[in-house]
Amino acid sequence: MGKIKVRVKINGKERSDEVEPRMLLAHYLRDVVGATGTHIGCDTSNCGACTVVMDGKAVKSCTVLVGQANGREIKTVEGLSQNGKLSKIQKAFLDKHGLQCGYCTSGMLMASYWLLKKNKKPTEEEIRRNLSGNLCRCTGYQNIVEAVKYASELIEKEGEEEEVVVESQ
Amino acid sequence: MITGQKFVEGKGTYVDDINLPGMLYMAIVRSPYSRAKIASLKGGLNSSDYEGRMASVGEGGSGEINIYSEPVFAQGYTSYLGQPVAAVFGEDRYKAEDLLNSVDVEYEPLKPVMEIDAALKADPIHPGTKNNILIDKWVGKEFKDTSSPIVLEDSFYNRRVATNPMEPRGVVATYDGNRLTMWASSQSSQSIKEGLVEAMNLSPDSVRVIQADTGGGFGLKGGLHPEYVIAAHAAMKYKRPVKWIETRSEHLSSSNPGRGARADIKIFAGKNGIINGVTGEVYVDAGAYGGFGEFAPRFIAYQLTGPYAIPNGYVRAIATLTNKVPQGPYRGAGRPEASYFIERMVDLLADELKMDPADVRIANMSSEPFKSPLGLEIGAAKPFFQDALKEFEYGKRFTSDTAGLGFFVLVPGIGPGEGARIKIEKGRVKVWLGGDTAGQGHQEFVRTLIREELGIASDLVELQLGDTDAVKRGVGAWGSRSAITAGAAVIAASGKIKDMVIKDFGDYSPENALSGSYDIDHFEEMKGTLNSFGANIAVADVSPLGAIRVKDCWSYYDVGRVLSKESVWGQIMGGIVQGIGQVVSEEIAYSDEGELLTGSIADSGVLSADQVPNFVVKVAENRSDLPHGVKGLGEAPTIGVPSALVRSIEKVTGKRIRDTPVRPEDIAEDF
Ligand code: FES
Ligand code: FES
Repeated sequence: MGKIKVRVKINGKERSDEVEPRMLLAHYLRDVVGATGTHIGCDTSNCGACTVVMDGKAVKSCTVLVGQANGREIKTVEGLSQNGKLSKIQKAFLDKHGLQCGYCTSGMLMASYWLLKKNKKPTEEEIRRNLSGNLCRCTGYQNIVEAVKYASELIEKEGEEEEVVVESQ
Repeated sequence: MITGQKFVEGKGTYVDDINLPGMLYMAIVRSPYSRAKIASLKGGLNSSDYEGRMASVGEGGSGEINIYSEPVFAQGYTSYLGQPVAAVFGEDRYKAEDLLNSVDVEYEPLKPVMEIDAALKADPIHPGTKNNILIDKWVGKEFKDTSSPIVLEDSFYNRRVATNPMEPRGVVATYDGNRLTMWASSQSSQSIKEGLVEAMNLSPDSVRVIQADTGGGFGLKGGLHPEYVIAAHAAMKYKRPVKWIETRSEHLSSSNPGRGARADIKIFAGKNGIINGVTGEVYVDAGAYGGFGEFAPRFIAYQLTGPYAIPNGYVRAIATLTNKVPQGPYRGAGRPEASYFIERMVDLLADELKMDPADVRIANMSSEPFKSPLGLEIGAAKPFFQDALKEFEYGKRFTSDTAGLGFFVLVPGIGPGEGARIKIEKGRVKVWLGGDTAGQGHQEFVRTLIREELGIASDLVELQLGDTDAVKRGVGAWGSRSAITAGAAVIAASGKIKDMVIKDFGDYSPENALSGSYDIDHFEEMKGTLNSFGANIAVADVSPLGAIRVKDCWSYYDVGRVLSKESVWGQIMGGIVQGIGQVVSEEIAYSDEGELLTGSIADSGVLSADQVPNFVVKVAENRSDLPHGVKGLGEAPTIGVPSALVRSIEKVTGKRIRDTPVRPEDIAEDF
């Protein structure tokens, strides 16, 4: 099978790879880039475990062909903490016990991160609606919703974190 | 490190994150039919290379291989949709998928046997067997009741439900010429090892199973699966590491679902609501092969009196073979079914006598411990239930017009105990357990117990993932047993360490312990029962078209002493959503012709955040007699919630509910 060249910026770092055009972004991130924090939980784009932020918008990376990511900027769960410091949404998930097995967590974090970018003070209903594409089998969602509310409070109190820009080497 | 920190950083190591040099990816050619003759088969690894059968291990497993054991590859005919027929191996996951086309299979489809009743009448699905009855046993003692004025009969069905952990199954197998090492997403590395040893006829010393971070289990990941054996066999044959990661589609067709149990029940009662006896038949749809289905019907029958002091009981326990993927344990594993069946009858009796369902329940409770005619031992139910009604503000906040009650006894799987190893070295403590945590938070209770027993601060204590080389003997994390059994093992091992420290230093102090090197591997033998009570109350809202929304769901469970508030609450809230799911949407369904109707995780009914409300969780902390005072809890919500919710749906719709999930057509307003 012929290969295509893709250039992407992942968590602030540029890279280019030759890959099969049929490859999904989720597999590219996991198997080529080695960013295994992005998970795969289904093959019907229902579960959201694979959620990443592409050009500022949450997408399910299992529905994106790697070619469609060419020239884009991608943020994965590995890019949430800055200089070893947890971001507010990560801290909130830990403090409010918004995770158990951790498998849905990366997707939940990325979907929540995006929600809080769009809407700094989401209501409970808005949080539940915005996370409806992310399934969790362990937590019953209540603590996840609490975590997002708490992150929103932290952002209100302390402001958003600065995005650290990592230049390509 | 704070528990969970690696997961929020995306630094977990789940089995699909493990990559070994030279690793092959495995993909499985599966039967597209529920039942078919294999007229010809060419290509891939198949039953001509490997003829073995599966061993029944894990929860409810007999440890044996018998004539009903599933073959690792279909042999001459297929017995369920999704059954492994052949395996192919590629350099990456895409190439492995491509290679599926290289296998040529010619099937001659046969008429499948899809339901319990059909199975009872049909010719045997397996040649050489007499019928489709996997097991048929009576539990209890025959009795005659000619004097009870009220005799009620009804039939119920809990349809099959997928376990659906968010991380599907997966293994990586490798062989160095002497030893087979397998990493697995697991609730019991020990059971998987036992299964591989048994099924592949290997020596126990030559197999090591290591748990990877595990993204939920819910019963599925405690046993052996055909794909594990195939991956192990291929790693040994090709002398290269082999990875197999289940897709969600494969999960829904080919991994063991739970429930799939039906009952025809008759109760005999007085006009005062007192139940004098229960009889009936419990049927489990075992699917195409033995295993958990051999255990499930008797386990359900044994619990059929629920928390009530019913003096007579005689129940027939039957499992039938059908052309479906073999049934397995799913959170509760027989407990929710038994509770559902008796709770539905108690509500029926309340309606018959126009009594409040709470009053009928109280009429059947003892203030003393009680041993049921079916063998179930329970404590005094009445005081707990009366507390539950108070906690629920029953009669004020909730009334029987709209709210449904569920009252149950939770029977944790205690025997034969559990293993734990504690190793102190260089000022830090490592702990291994015989059962593998799949997200329940075992590290929390381990840290609490080490702090209490050895005085060592939690940040010095790390729970390790399961590893059969690290712990000599272990059982598994299922059946609401881990805090009870693994907790007891941690306490016993801590005691031994204390003794050694005293021997070395003359007295015990955490500083002394941490300055030395200690390593204790202990198996705590346990038997007997440690049953506990729980109650739920729920209120549903039903649209004219039959869409169900849960408005309220409260829980009150006796969890014994709480070792970790987060874990206890987390377990309960997560279980509630599974309990609701079983009632409102979750199902694995087939057409009569054997096509799978629920091929995606959405079709299988897993609920999302916008479909459930916030829950109110209350616990009673009545200490058990164990040194650490705990009781079981992991399965409480999947036992208690379905009965409560179904009753509420019945009240708000005015329609008698018998089966789960409740389908819109069962309750939509008649137009
Ligand atoms: S893996 Fe992408 S939505 Fe499930
Ligand atoms: S924490 Fe396990 S699936 Fe969400």
